[in-house]
Amino acid sequence: MRTDNVITVGLGELAISEDPSDVLTAFGLGSCLGIGAYAPAIGVGGLLHAMLPEYSKKEDRLAPKYVDSGLLQLIKELEAKGAVREQLHINMVGAANMIEMQGVPNQLKIGERNLEVAYRILNELGLKIQNEETGGTIGRTTRLYVETGAMTVRAMGKPERPIGQSIPEPA
Amino acid sequence: MNEMENTSEMQPFMEIVAHEGLNNAAKGFGSMVGTPFKVSASEVSTVPVEEIPFLAGGPENEIVGIYLHAEGDVAGQILLMFPVEKALELVDLLMEQPEGTTQELDTMARSALAEVGNLVGSFFLNSVASLTGLDTRPSPPAIVVDMVAALLSMVTATCATMGDEALMIKGDFSQIDRGTQLQFWVMPDPDTLGKINEKLN
Repeated sequence: MRTDNVITVGLGELAISEDPSDVLTAFGLGSCLGIGAYAPAIGVGGLLHAMLPEYSKKEDRLAPKYVDSGLLQLIKELEAKGAVREQLHINMVGAANMIEMQGVPNQLKIGERNLEVAYRILNELGLKIQNEETGGTIGRTTRLYVETGAMTVRAMGKPERPIGQSIPEPA
Repeated sequence: MNEMENTSEMQPFMEIVAHEGLNNAAKGFGSMVGTPFKVSASEVSTVPVEEIPFLAGGPENEIVGIYLHAEGDVAGQILLMFPVEKALELVDLLMEQPEGTTQELDTMARSALAEVGNLVGSFFLNSVASLTGLDTRPSPPAIVVDMVAALLSMVTATCATMGDEALMIKGDFSQIDRGTQLQFWVMPDPDTLGKINEKLN
């Protein structure tokens, strides 16, 4: 039996893989948004771990740090591998608001804003979301299994399970 | 974000702030719990923001965080972190219950922890205010029980809206005969460093 090869996708990173033993993993997504895209016909998948909603004007070494620029890069890199955009399976996990405080500066609503930007960009690209577990106030780990394209979610103290098996919390 | 260029010349002063602030906070913590605490480690460093989630151990480890904002001329984020079992022990200490009584962080336990955050944060900020002559006060604390990375990603994202690097003050509070009980982090907003620098010049 082969062993899973865990590829950690850190904060502000993007990973693409066509190796069926790879499991692209973003640990402990809080307000960050994990976006998985999978091309079933060619068995190539990508996972984005974006931290902030929109690319700032200044030059930045990390495009995947942002939902908008990261998402465009994710799709572009998958297309470069031969993926057909319309056939991509898109799943999203994360974008929680970890902290609910009174009189908090709105900078803390980063989760919500990450999600809004993701919806807008996906809509502009004509892409549909297959499943998502986003919002709420809990952290989540997500994994994309390159062999099957399955995406999973795990919250603290809970077992890992396929995404979308429960009703996603409202954003 | 030119403020960050000041951090190397401000390092000696920030080390004084860290030393006095952390010791005062540990004193406040000890007086609240009724047993002395010391600062067993402290550090002032400038780190790339994306490294912050990896500075407190395994990303999926369960942790209790008490999170506050400093507001005023000196602004920033303040975070106290405990392993869950330490947080439960602390609640028992505060509520004068036998150790092991508290099994989960219910509303009462969370409110006791919020008091800790309030007091420890205030002791730290009082030192900062008297050293800098600048005004600052803590926000009401929020309690988060979750994966380390999830808690820290939110702190990181807040830092990242203001720059690629963050200045961090980190301290470990320990009881004399026991190990680390809590980690205390302060991340001043870059604007704040500019204000402190102006004041120093």
